[in-house]
Amino acid sequence: MKLRSRLPHPGNVTALAIAALVAGSFIALATVDGGKPALFSIGPYLIRVLAFSVIQAGLSTILSLALGVALALALARRRFFGRDVVLSLLSITMVMPTIVAVFAVLAVYGRSGWLAEALGALGWNGSFTIFGYPGILIAHVFLNAPFVARITLDGLDLVPAEQWRLAASLGFTPAQTFRHLDWPVLRAELAGLAGLVFLMCFKSFAIVLALGGGPSRATLEVAIYEALKIDLDFGRAAWLALIQLAICLFMMLVLDWAFARPPATHTMRAQVRRPDEANRRLKIIDALILVGGGLFIAPLALSVLRGLRNIFDVVDADLLQAFATSAAIATAAALVACGLALSLASAARRRMISRSRRLAAVYDFLPNSLLAVPPFALTAGLFLMIRPFVDPAMAGLILLPLINGLAALPFAYRYIAPRLMTTEERYGRLAASLGMTGLTKLRIVDWPVLRRPLVASFALAMALSFGDFGVIALFGGAELRTLPYLLYERLGSYRLDEAAAVGLIIVLAAFLLAHVSGRMSHAAD
Amino acid sequence: MLLIESCRLTWPDFTANYSLKVPTGHLCAVVGPSGGGKTTLLHMIAGFEVPESGTLAFAGQDLLPLTPAERPVAIVFQDHNLFPHLTASQNVALGLQPSLRLTGRERALVTDMLDAVGLSGFDQRRPGEMSGGQRQRVAFARALISGRPLILLDEPFSGLDPGLRRDMVQLVDELRRRRPVTIVMTIHTPEDVADLADQMAFVTHGEVAASGTPADILQGPLAARVAASILDE
Repeated sequence: MKLRSRLPHPGNVTALAIAALVAGSFIALATVDGGKPALFSIGPYLIRVLAFSVIQAGLSTILSLALGVALALALARRRFFGRDVVLSLLSITMVMPTIVAVFAVLAVYGRSGWLAEALGALGWNGSFTIFGYPGILIAHVFLNAPFVARITLDGLDLVPAEQWRLAASLGFTPAQTFRHLDWPVLRAELAGLAGLVFLMCFKSFAIVLALGGGPSRATLEVAIYEALKIDLDFGRAAWLALIQLAICLFMMLVLDWAFARPPATHTMRAQVRRPDEANRRLKIIDALILVGGGLFIAPLALSVLRGLRNIFDVVDADLLQAFATSAAIATAAALVACGLALSLASAARRRMISRSRRLAAVYDFLPNSLLAVPPFALTAGLFLMIRPFVDPAMAGLILLPLINGLAALPFAYRYIAPRLMTTEERYGRLAASLGMTGLTKLRIVDWPVLRRPLVASFALAMALSFGDFGVIALFGGAELRTLPYLLYERLGSYRLDEAAAVGLIIVLAAFLLAHVSGRMSHAAD
Repeated sequence: MLLIESCRLTWPDFTANYSLKVPTGHLCAVVGPSGGGKTTLLHMIAGFEVPESGTLAFAGQDLLPLTPAERPVAIVFQDHNLFPHLTASQNVALGLQPSLRLTGRERALVTDMLDAVGLSGFDQRRPGEMSGGQRQRVAFARALISGRPLILLDEPFSGLDPGLRRDMVQLVDELRRRRPVTIVMTIHTPEDVADLADQMAFVTHGEVAASGTPADILQGPLAARVAASILDE
């Protein structure tokens, strides 16, 4: 008993290990070439990168929110045949890997894409380029507008049925309906959503790297990658990483404050008729929004289907090996994410029980704070740390699951931590009175409730890792190739049909895993 | 008179067929087990559910072709009666003018109505800053200020402690003496309104199984069945 009481809690060890990994990697990176202060020498470059990051993220956020909110309102007001298909399509784009979105933009709007073909068939001989702002904005809006639409629609669905009935009884006009029922939901959601979309676009890597059109258009994430991969300037990478970390942490603290949504207190989901759905003008506006949104999203979402024609042609040793590598890395990353999430959530619960709410909040914030850490800087730093002990060829295989697992940790934590806290509220006192602790408590009290969220978070972590085109850009090559890297290679050599087939395989795998995750997270215990 | 005759509603798992008469100015308490169709009856009168057949009329006017907003009906729900972003006086004012563009006279009416329900000085409070009983008073004030002659109260006292329930019952009694209205209210504990109600209807399995004075329902041959259905919950 004495020995056990002296052992630190696994959650404490995990938290310290994560902090040590992040701090160690940054120190390793900053000191690799003598720790010279590189910040002043990159001043103008840094300002250009920051300006570009902010402008493209700002524009992407405004456009994503505009389209997403318009779609959500139109979908909330209308019930039509195929509405469920539209909602599924929105869900597919939410889990679409960024590198596949790059392919979709090129397939539809590229030089030999569907739009160019259609315009050519109409006799238009001009040329246009998708590289630069147009491609980046299209890809960001394509990935984020459906996300905004789904979250907003979920929020609108939480308006109590009684309030819709009240609105009908009081004879609200469409403007009054918007003012008293829709706007309060939008006002509560938009600040947090805007911050989240801005953060994702600010950190964007694959889209900006592939569609930016040159080194003049780089986000901080791309700049870190270029410093590491092209210029081998580790000091610059460390400074850029620190700046990104500071900006993103600040934004996340603001988000944490803005996104604190009050718990829903609805008695029933609104399955009542909205008083504004019969309004003729709104019917026309909604039809235009739905058709316009459909014309923008559907071709991009369905572009990978052209890969069906070539799916058997691309099956070769390279593809099979890339698939196996992706699956192995995704499995290991999911194990890392779930293991870390479980131990951190357990430590947070322990702190809550002992009424150390502030410490519990630190454990809660730690997984989210990882979203702010630039993965390239973390990877490069860790690479420098393990380089003396590990064969460089093996380093990728060790670091990829670790980095992808850490990237998936915030999402896994969100599934696991609330359930663990719920079991404590329900059965904590009973378990304490029976003397259940440690593994016994985990097996008898927690496991039955945790089983499904663990499977859900495992599948989601696998989906995120399977489609990730991030750190693999540093290690990828003939010896280590994942499916997203293979897709990037095919895109780089303009083999669009093969890229479509590879993209289709990635999307199918990611969607299947996300579907399993969704089913498990919504299933009853 | 509120006249409901053979009003039939059908769902895959539930069928309702209501017949009930409530004289103008009366308070009719609807009792019965949960899931028996009490709230559906109120929703049908308010226009949220439309019967496939039957007659629904009030003061000689056919209600069936009318939308909820066109019906002479105001409703108070068990919960979520108030818009959380509006103040108490704005929530009451919705009953007068949904655009909330009020004349001076209308503003005075809102203040008077808040006074009448015992909430003077609460006009700038938002629902989140009021107790459950105070929120129900605001909802009741909104129903009264609308001037609609038929008021539906859907379990308005549930969730309130016995003392608050008694206060609310007294309030309903006082206010209907000031302005004659017909009230149909579903209620969980019939004793709360036994002295106040002119009529009581026992609704179960989607039908009005019996209707009469509170004494008829609570002390007559049906008494054991009514008590059992309520105790079952």
